Amino acid sequence: MKTKLFIKRAFLFFLFMIPLGLLAQTAKGRIIDTKGNAIPFATIVEKGTSNGTTADDNGNFNLKVSKLPTTLDISSLGYVSKSVTTTTGEETITLQEENVGLDEVVLSGLASNVKRANLANTVATVSSKDLVGATPPQTLDGALAGKFTGAVVSSNSGAPGGGLSIKLRGVTSINSNSQPLYIIDGIYLDNSSIAGGLNVVSAAAAGGSASNQDNPSNRIADINPDDIENIEILKGASAAAIYGSRAAAGVIIITTKKGKAGDTKVDVSQSFGFNEVINLQGTRPFTEASVLQFFGAGNVALFNAAKASGQLHDYEKELYGEKGFITNTNVGISGGNEKTTFYTGFTHNDEDGIVKNTGFVKSSARINIDHKINDFIKVSITSNYITSKADRGFFNNDNTGTTIGVSLVGTPPWAQLFPDANGVYPNNPFGASNPLQTRDLVTNNEKVNRFITGGSADISIYRDDHSDLKAIVKTGLDYYTFATRAIFPKDLQFESVNGGDNGVSVQGTTENKNTSYSAFLVHNYRTDNNVNYKTQAGLTKETFSRNSILSTAKDLIGSETNLDQAGSLQVEQTRLDQKDAGFFAQEEVNFKDQFIATLGIRGDKSTNNGDANEVFYYPKTSLALNLHNFDFWKFDKISQFKVRAAYGESGNFAPNGALYTSFGSTTIGGAGLGITLNGVLGDLNIKPEQQKEFETGFDLGLMSNKVNLSFTWYKKQVDDLILNASTEPSSGFTSKFVNAGKLQNTGVEIGLNIEAFDTKDFKWNSSVNFWTNDSKITRLDIPAFNLGAFGATLGTFRIEQGKSATQIVGISETGLKVHGDAEADFQMSFNNNLVYKDFELSFLWHWKQGGDNVNLSTLLFDLNGTTHDFDAKGLDPSGTLTNGPYRTSRLGVSADVFVQDASYLRLREVGLSYNIPKVKLERWFGKSISGAKLGFSGHNLINIFKYNSYDPEVSNFGSNGISTGVEVLPFPSSKRFMFHLTANF
Amino acid sequence: MKIINNIKFISIAVFGLLLYSCDFDNGTDLNGPSVDAIANNPSRGDIASLAAGVQSDMRVRLGTYLDDCGVVGREYWRFASSDPRFTADLLGSGSSVLDNNTFYTTAPWGARYRTVKSTNILIAAAANATTAGFSPAELSSINGFAKTIQAYELLMNLNLQFQNGIRVDVSDINNLGAFLGYPESLTAIKALLDGGAADLTNGGSKFPFKLSDGFNGFDTPANFKKFNRALAARVALYQGDKTNALSALSESFFDLNGSMTGGVYYVFANSGNDIANPVFNALNSSTAGARIVQPSFITDAELGDLRLNKVVQRDAPLTLDGLTGNYDAWVFTSNDAPIPIIRNEELILIYAEANIGTNLVQSLAAINKVRNIAGLTPYAGATDNASLLNEVLHERRYSLYAEGHRWIDMRRTGKLAQLPLDRPGDDVWEQFPRPLTEN
Repeated sequence: MKTKLFIKRAFLFFLFMIPLGLLAQTAKGRIIDTKGNAIPFATIVEKGTSNGTTADDNGNFNLKVSKLPTTLDISSLGYVSKSVTTTTGEETITLQEENVGLDEVVLSGLASNVKRANLANTVATVSSKDLVGATPPQTLDGALAGKFTGAVVSSNSGAPGGGLSIKLRGVTSINSNSQPLYIIDGIYLDNSSIAGGLNVVSAAAAGGSASNQDNPSNRIADINPDDIENIEILKGASAAAIYGSRAAAGVIIITTKKGKAGDTKVDVSQSFGFNEVINLQGTRPFTEASVLQFFGAGNVALFNAAKASGQLHDYEKELYGEKGFITNTNVGISGGNEKTTFYTGFTHNDEDGIVKNTGFVKSSARINIDHKINDFIKVSITSNYITSKADRGFFNNDNTGTTIGVSLVGTPPWAQLFPDANGVYPNNPFGASNPLQTRDLVTNNEKVNRFITGGSADISIYRDDHSDLKAIVKTGLDYYTFATRAIFPKDLQFESVNGGDNGVSVQGTTENKNTSYSAFLVHNYRTDNNVNYKTQAGLTKETFSRNSILSTAKDLIGSETNLDQAGSLQVEQTRLDQKDAGFFAQEEVNFKDQFIATLGIRGDKSTNNGDANEVFYYPKTSLALNLHNFDFWKFDKISQFKVRAAYGESGNFAPNGALYTSFGSTTIGGAGLGITLNGVLGDLNIKPEQQKEFETGFDLGLMSNKVNLSFTWYKKQVDDLILNASTEPSSGFTSKFVNAGKLQNTGVEIGLNIEAFDTKDFKWNSSVNFWTNDSKITRLDIPAFNLGAFGATLGTFRIEQGKSATQIVGISETGLKVHGDAEADFQMSFNNNLVYKDFELSFLWHWKQGGDNVNLSTLLFDLNGTTHDFDAKGLDPSGTLTNGPYRTSRLGVSADVFVQDASYLRLREVGLSYNIPKVKLERWFGKSISGAKLGFSGHNLINIFKYNSYDPEVSNFGSNGISTGVEVLPFPSSKRFMFHLTANF
Repeated sequence: MKIINNIKFISIAVFGLLLYSCDFDNGTDLNGPSVDAIANNPSRGDIASLAAGVQSDMRVRLGTYLDDCGVVGREYWRFASSDPRFTADLLGSGSSVLDNNTFYTTAPWGARYRTVKSTNILIAAAANATTAGFSPAELSSINGFAKTIQAYELLMNLNLQFQNGIRVDVSDINNLGAFLGYPESLTAIKALLDGGAADLTNGGSKFPFKLSDGFNGFDTPANFKKFNRALAARVALYQGDKTNALSALSESFFDLNGSMTGGVYYVFANSGNDIANPVFNALNSSTAGARIVQPSFITDAELGDLRLNKVVQRDAPLTLDGLTGNYDAWVFTSNDAPIPIIRNEELILIYAEANIGTNLVQSLAAINKVRNIAGLTPYAGATDNASLLNEVLHERRYSLYAEGHRWIDMRRTGKLAQLPLDRPGDDVWEQFPRPLTEN
């Protein structure tokens, strides 16, 4: 096999290359690592030529060279490349394992890689070990929190199935998209949150706030973290310019595992665990006097009776006190030979939530195949099928007293809400719904079936001494159907015939299809003085289409839930159809690894713009100086000192509907179907937002890169900010979208990584991250306005020139006043990995200091007299009122009590595992198992915060937009305890 | 060489393909018809859709309007455990004030002007209808309909804004008319109604679009004009112009011996796209959503007043935010019950009030007609103007309970101070602030 391959190669070289003369000599030998083990399939190339070969399974190689002595370049992924001059032609060459991945390759253009050492941007990388090494995460985006600088990763609630927002380098936009673009193996992923239509029952968007408060999940939750090899995060336009109009909020590039040639490896892991609520609020310690004062004499009798018969209930504990069982099973198989390698992975996750009838089940199957058709064409296919189901309960804001959280606050401990022996629930006399009944009878279910697949072909067109040219063609498809099902049976207290809708069934179906195509040419030119020119140019095209149908049926027949078994049916359909096309070109010059400069431009157009054929241009440029590689560098202790700067531009489309002034439909009995204005004045000439980002910094490596310090300062400016300007409502429109402002984010990111110990028995790797971000509205062409949340009485966001974009204002005794800011003062994370003999301990602390939330949960408890600290003192500066009455007394006077500090210190992940020594394994199992590990781990085990509610990481309004951090009785968040067992075959 | 050439050829072909597939058609809104398309040359169907939309839009945020009037006017309390502003801001509890950027101010304001805009689009569309083949009478009827509805919508905003005034001429979004003061606004609304009446007179025998079930009996231009004149009578009363009020009444559907309930209504339905009655609450509702009668309604009533059927005693009192009440408001008894826009009982009471000081006999006849239907004996109190006015206000309070009149009536007669205060620190507001977004 080996000789045949070699002859083929030689033949091809003879055809295409300048003849090198007779290949008369032989260089042969073995490539090994520092432990004496063979490095299979290492690459050996005769220096200055393209004459090379790969070592076999045992590290042996045999290369025909033109002359002796000659110099051989040896390289292999994960090892420091080495050049060896051989006179005899027989060598045993030892390669050093890499430290801290300086030779690690990072995507720098759409089609090319660059070594991290030469990269001019700060691109964060999260490896597979960082992602799932300590503890199995619930969703992919949740696993990213605290693992890299420059981001706020915040979950919207504790509901199973996800629902998170990731904001890179501050707020990117007020009305347009502010979530990053996700790309997996070159395929554009859809990350939407699609509402389930619960608003028809909760009426959340009725009393003063018109937006989606249904708490849907987002689609990144479908991706299986165990399939991932690594994730690269391009945080802003300076790195992401090459992705054009969709990259304003950054790009997260996911690469899945690929097979490795050699023996087929099977990895099986199984974990079990449970979750429980982090922070129950508790109930008010009622006394006869306090019951009489707030609830009246009638309730005193009920209270006493309940107390006497031991029937005082802690309903919060009853609702949120479950321990949900979690199980994760994962199987990964990889293998192949020199021509074909494959990786397949199967995963099944099943977890119950901390509330009965909630949970998340997901199964995923993946196959990745790489195949070398011949020496110059390589193809690869990635294919992933996911099916999942999430039951998320009925929470968050409402105006009907029906969500579980809102109903809970109105329910005092002497209410008797448990079902009787026949399973009949009593009506709740204290509210519109019985929360136990709602929990047990309401269905809020999301089902996903998703198919993500892509293929790419790598064609080497031309190769010689100094240059090579290759073409890369990629295609991708992301297709899913998303079905939501929200059933409110007529037995529910609030659905009963007199007052309610007599049963509601809301079913939604969304069909979403994204496709992407791209083709590039990459050309490398090496001069003899080791100057490398890399040119790439390409075209891309993407299509996005979605059809969403939401049907609401009311007045159901019996216990039927089908939409036709109902007295009234209302249907809403929303469609989306977009096409983008673009081109890009980039030139990178690498002068002896000392000085690396790039210059690139992207142009794209989209049907999302008023003029679909207008091209918008996004340039980028960057410069990295590896001072340690210069001749004048004399400081041996400093192994790396790189100074870098980068600049890039990108765009962000106007939100859907900003372009058009349209009618919606409406009905009135007798007149039939009518058309009605929806209040938004459109503008066909609106321009996309323009982002310009500049970042600069340095990377310092000491003691052969055992200590690495990275420092970055950035400034991100968004011009032509699209704002929802209030039009005067007397015009018939309440708002219109205009390009009317400029937003700026500046910040600092510092990362320190120390490999404190690296001995045979003990290894300790520690990294500390610190990052800050400050935003400011630097220009505003329309009058300052409030937006988000529920109005100035309770605390709202305000867009005002010269102020932070995330400031929270509200009423006060002296008029409108700034009460806080949603932006954190800074964030820090502390990630450690310790190995002692066969034990491994990892833990990640995450500290967010500053940043305020608008907390309305406590207010609702107060108005119903059930807050846990109602009778405590401490808030009233004059010392007269207890906390509950004090807070309610501030309602309508000042919003200061609702704007609360949301700082936290969390032990995000901790994992302790024991690698069963090879000796024991061989004794018990023979040679069949090559490795086994068992361990305990946890997620969010320690949470320290002063915030007066369930969790400071919360958002009633979902992921997008500026008003994250507003809370109205969410699904409480939970911590996880896991036990896992891994076996490698 | 051949292989390279082939590959080069393939790559060029691939690029070419991508390039040629790159000319895009402009996007359109996939999810609704555009305003320009309809206003520039409407078809008959478009006009019918616009008119139906106008009628449906009239109901948007009606609940907020009725609650604003009903709560400030101390007819009932609106309990909502998930929104404290109904019992705090609207009643002026403690040092709370009405906010100019909160839903109770901004939502009805915006909703009424949205309907006004739709009526203006309807008028413009009618003027631009070149190919639909409308007859002059039909065009006139469209204008009459649009102007009448527009006047009514503006009146509702004026009712909340009072001395802050409103804009009346808002057809050009880039050149909105100035705010007119209260009397000037009423004058402008009267002019709109009069213009509409003239158009309806020339409006032929039927409308080129359907009217909702709430307009049963008023669905021809001639009958619709009676509705227009009824509104004009109400406006004249607010202006204090008793002469015009009486002459408008004579052209309306006012019938001293007619049914109390005849008139024009908002209609609601449970089916599909339609909306439900926004002020309906089941009996014995909880603090999550209830309309609890302010106790003076019961204590101030005359013995045997049948209009007390509009309130029902609860199984148990309900308390929220320091207010305790024992009676549910029960004017609208199902979630598809219609809400009156203007009905004969109000016209009779306008007739009674307009005749005070000029025709005592007619005034008493009207008052006693209402009292008779309410199961009461004829009025036997003092007959000086002030006492008669108080009597008419008393009858209006009970006849038109929870229909959004009490606050307006007490305000226009300068008697807001007589409205009861439930808690120390509560206030009776005279008007809502002008919305923050109006410059």
